[in-house]
Amino acid sequence: MKILIVEDEQELMKSMATYLKSENFVCEEAPDYATARQKIELFTYDCILLDVSLPDGNGLLLLNELKENKKTDGVIVISAKNSISDRIQGLNLGADDYLTKPFHLSELNARILAVIRRRHFQGQHILVFNELTIDLTAKSVTVHRTPVELTRKEYDLLVYLAYNKNRVISKNAIAEHLSGDEAEIFSNYDFIYSHMKNLKRKLQQAGCSEYIRSIYGMGYKFDV
Amino acid sequence: MRLNNKTIRSYLFYSFLIFLLTIPLFYFVMRSLLLHEVDKSLRLQLKEIRSNLGEIHSQDELTAWSKLDKDILLSPIDEPIRDRVYSINRYSPKHEEEEPYREIAGGITVGGKMYRLVISSSLIENDDLLSSILLVQSIVLFLLICGMLWINQRISKRLWQPFYVALRNMQQFELNKQTNLSFLSSTTDEFNELNKAIGNLFSRSSEIFLQQKEFTENAAHEMQTPLAIYQSKLELLMQTSPLSEEQADLINGLDDTNRRLIKLNKSLLLLTKIENHQYQDVYDVEIGALCKRLILQSYLHAEEKNIVINGDFPERVVVRVNPVLIEILIGNLLSNAIRYNINNGMIMVRTEKNTLVIENTGASVPLPDKVFDRFYKQTGQAGTEDSTGLGLAIVKNICTLYNYTISYAFIEGRHIFRLDFHNGSARQGAGS
Repeated sequence: MKILIVEDEQELMKSMATYLKSENFVCEEAPDYATARQKIELFTYDCILLDVSLPDGNGLLLLNELKENKKTDGVIVISAKNSISDRIQGLNLGADDYLTKPFHLSELNARILAVIRRRHFQGQHILVFNELTIDLTAKSVTVHRTPVELTRKEYDLLVYLAYNKNRVISKNAIAEHLSGDEAEIFSNYDFIYSHMKNLKRKLQQAGCSEYIRSIYGMGYKFDV
Repeated sequence: MRLNNKTIRSYLFYSFLIFLLTIPLFYFVMRSLLLHEVDKSLRLQLKEIRSNLGEIHSQDELTAWSKLDKDILLSPIDEPIRDRVYSINRYSPKHEEEEPYREIAGGITVGGKMYRLVISSSLIENDDLLSSILLVQSIVLFLLICGMLWINQRISKRLWQPFYVALRNMQQFELNKQTNLSFLSSTTDEFNELNKAIGNLFSRSSEIFLQQKEFTENAAHEMQTPLAIYQSKLELLMQTSPLSEEQADLINGLDDTNRRLIKLNKSLLLLTKIENHQYQDVYDVEIGALCKRLILQSYLHAEEKNIVINGDFPERVVVRVNPVLIEILIGNLLSNAIRYNINNGMIMVRTEKNTLVIENTGASVPLPDKVFDRFYKQTGQAGTEDSTGLGLAIVKNICTLYNYTISYAFIEGRHIFRLDFHNGSARQGAGS
């Protein structure tokens, strides 16, 4: 899987590349508009991470470029501005998703995987970890072929963990992911403990091995 | 007292004084002038009679003549007398009452005999004339004063118009609202200078205010990137191995602090955006439905403390407002009601006429007045650990933007926030 990171902040680019490379993505970097344009013209990527404010141009213009060249690369727009008009503009121009700075790398990774899944598998996708199967299309979970009833939040939590398997995900990243838009208003994150507890209990009762590990109260890891 | 009335009051006082003083003065001057005229004519008459005495030859002729003229009185005297003019009240058979008369008495000699001749002239016509003149005079004076006052009032009004316009402008001027202030140009130099000075003051203050707002917004924006880098590095640090518990603990602390920084920064950005009127789009929002949705969203958080949230929306309240802002406004109030609540507490959300009331259990003491201030935090209270201290400041700001009234009361151990939408008059202020 090939990813193009268009980002003018060197350090942020480095972090993103490091995280994504360890997820077995091939990452290419474009620190400015001109480089990004060149790369987009020459190559095809599974996903392009596009920063809006670039030193030599508006990143959103690259979306037009892609459209004109009839390219079907997945695009996630990344912006420091959390304005609805920007978001709508980005999505209207053909972006697949929109992420506001600052974001969690685990969130970015999950979004990339979701975009790629939608594009490559026409939405048909199943994650399998030994006895545990997650059907992303039907939004269902089975253990040893037996369905496990999960609430929406518990399912989201499991998918998020599975997308970032073998990584430590901070509890703040999980909480933000689960609360979505509500995170702006309701900032108490204690609720994730009970969700995590319920999820682990349900999986265990279905006979699933303990894949989810707590890492010193700092975060969680989906170990397979 | 208005400036105009103040000057007019002095004028009025002076005019009235003059009015009162001139009437008696005028009366006496006129009267003496008239008397003088009467005296002159009496003396002339006496002189004429004396010069025409030669035509009277006998005693009988004289008596007959004096009898014909009622204004003439003759009486014989032994010694010669000097001419004398005097006033006297006498009974007048014509008007059947006492009337004022002016008389002249002098001696004449007819046929070797001396007589005292008295010629009298009634002053009654003169008095009538005098009172008529005085009346006319008074009317003229009165009209003069009234006219002066009226003209003065009118001129002052027009003259001071630029001043009152400038005053109204100053009253209406608000730093955080972009209002187009137009001054009235005047032919009076002082007013023009005043207008110019006020205009300069306004534009200078607005400019400084704008710069400050821009600075805050830029600063908050610029902070987003380093915060993002910081967070990404922390996440990468979490992936390193081996990771001891001690290190994990430190990273955890850093991560929590960073989250707080991010939240603080976002709140600051939101505040400046509200102040910069960046939430322009307005829609009709039904408060009851919005509350129901927010209560549903907050369920996870309320459940943690086993808090019961009751919603009761008998009144349909619809306001024209930016949907993002109203959600933040009510969400912040609700979030606070959960955050500062006690375990097994309760929250009551209800609508009244044009009003939303959020009532919750919590600390047993009322909140201080400065609870709406920026960065105000109650020390040592549960729930404040990761508070930004900006939640209610944002609430206040949104209320100011839409002219809503937010009030707080502490009744029977319950914290009550009342949000009065004032008939949903969201159009004011929002569109400017």
